[in-house]
Amino acid sequence: MSQMRGGQPLVEVVRLGLVSYQEALRLQQVYVNRHRSGPAHALLLCEHPPVYTTGIRHKPYPEPLLDQLRLLGADVARANRGGLITFHGPGQLVCYPVLNLCSFKKSVRWYVDQLEQTVIALCSRFAIRATTSPHTGVWVGDNKICAIGIHCGRYITSHGLALNCCTDLSWFDHIVPCGIEGKGVTSLSAELRRHASVEEVVPHLLHAFTQQFNCQLTEAAQDGGESLTPVTSAGTSALTNLKDN
Amino acid sequence: TSGVLVQPQQPGAECPEDSGDYCGLQETNSPFVFLSVALKFTDKHEWVQVEGGVGIVGISNYAQEALGDVVYCGLPEVGQRLEQMDEFGALESVKAASELYSPLTGEVTEINTELAENPGLVNKDCYAKGWIIKMTIEKPEELDGLMDQAAYDKFVTSLE
Repeated sequence: MSQMRGGQPLVEVVRLGLVSYQEALRLQQVYVNRHRSGPAHALLLCEHPPVYTTGIRHKPYPEPLLDQLRLLGADVARANRGGLITFHGPGQLVCYPVLNLCSFKKSVRWYVDQLEQTVIALCSRFAIRATTSPHTGVWVGDNKICAIGIHCGRYITSHGLALNCCTDLSWFDHIVPCGIEGKGVTSLSAELRRHASVEEVVPHLLHAFTQQFNCQLTEAAQDGGESLTPVTSAGTSALTNLKDN
Repeated sequence: TSGVLVQPQQPGAECPEDSGDYCGLQETNSPFVFLSVALKFTDKHEWVQVEGGVGIVGISNYAQEALGDVVYCGLPEVGQRLEQMDEFGALESVKAASELYSPLTGEVTEINTELAENPGLVNKDCYAKGWIIKMTIEKPEELDGLMDQAAYDKFVTSLE
């Protein structure tokens, strides 16, 4: 499979729909493993049922604290990504680029910068002025609109970003998001004062991504390839590809 | 002893404690450190320095720059056995967890506990105080497969 078109890396867009965090971890690993036989960049898009996740710095979050969060009706999971505690839930666009940085630039710092700039560009398409700060992530004033936390092994990236479109932000009340005291969270809907769905935002994210990473996108083949069995819940999310229904 | 020119250090950088018979430190306007034992490098930008049969492991200046400010070091347990290229830990910077890979086969004898309080040492003093683990060297022939300073410098140039 050709991985470059006109000198630009080719990235496969994979729309997972509403999947559990654990299922998304499993699928990311499938895509990470594909890179063993050559570049196989993928951009996984999904939403998660309510879940709080911690990264490799998990010591600040002992079990009793996590149990309190479970009582709220959320799942709790530990990930091998950077970044502290955060929340994922419906209305939040979660994007996991599984890229081989050898085809881009072999710098984790550069990669995270690019993710931030991608989201800033997306926000500006909605006339929202978003910025970076000394704290990784994308901010509108003192409120974080998009969290970022990644893992990089042998130049293969996993985990990624979580952009609040119409997330119920009250879930964040129960944590200090990303361990940063005194700052809040926001969403595109909150900033625009109108409902902005994940479905509406996805094309803008994809466009910004291609611009920022100077790559081309391709959609996953609809033959239900052996490695992919997206689990959808009873409801459908904005991202479920409807072709097979 | 043959002196080896190491990558530029910050001015006033101190020599590694066990640097061997000779260590010449030049003053602030010329930040080069001469070590008596040559560093070997992996293509994942780890370095290993052999001293008294033990390998000291860290990451190169190129690597620490590409990572950004390290805020956390996830290190292995003392006694853990590592095969060459095994993942033995992770460094976190800018919300990114980056794996560390063992340059050699051996057993972890020591981990740099300073990094718990001061993970930034990996950036500030990557060849000395920012060392990460020490390990036994079960297969000395593996060292022959690693890059010497000159080869590593060439490798880094090819990446840019």
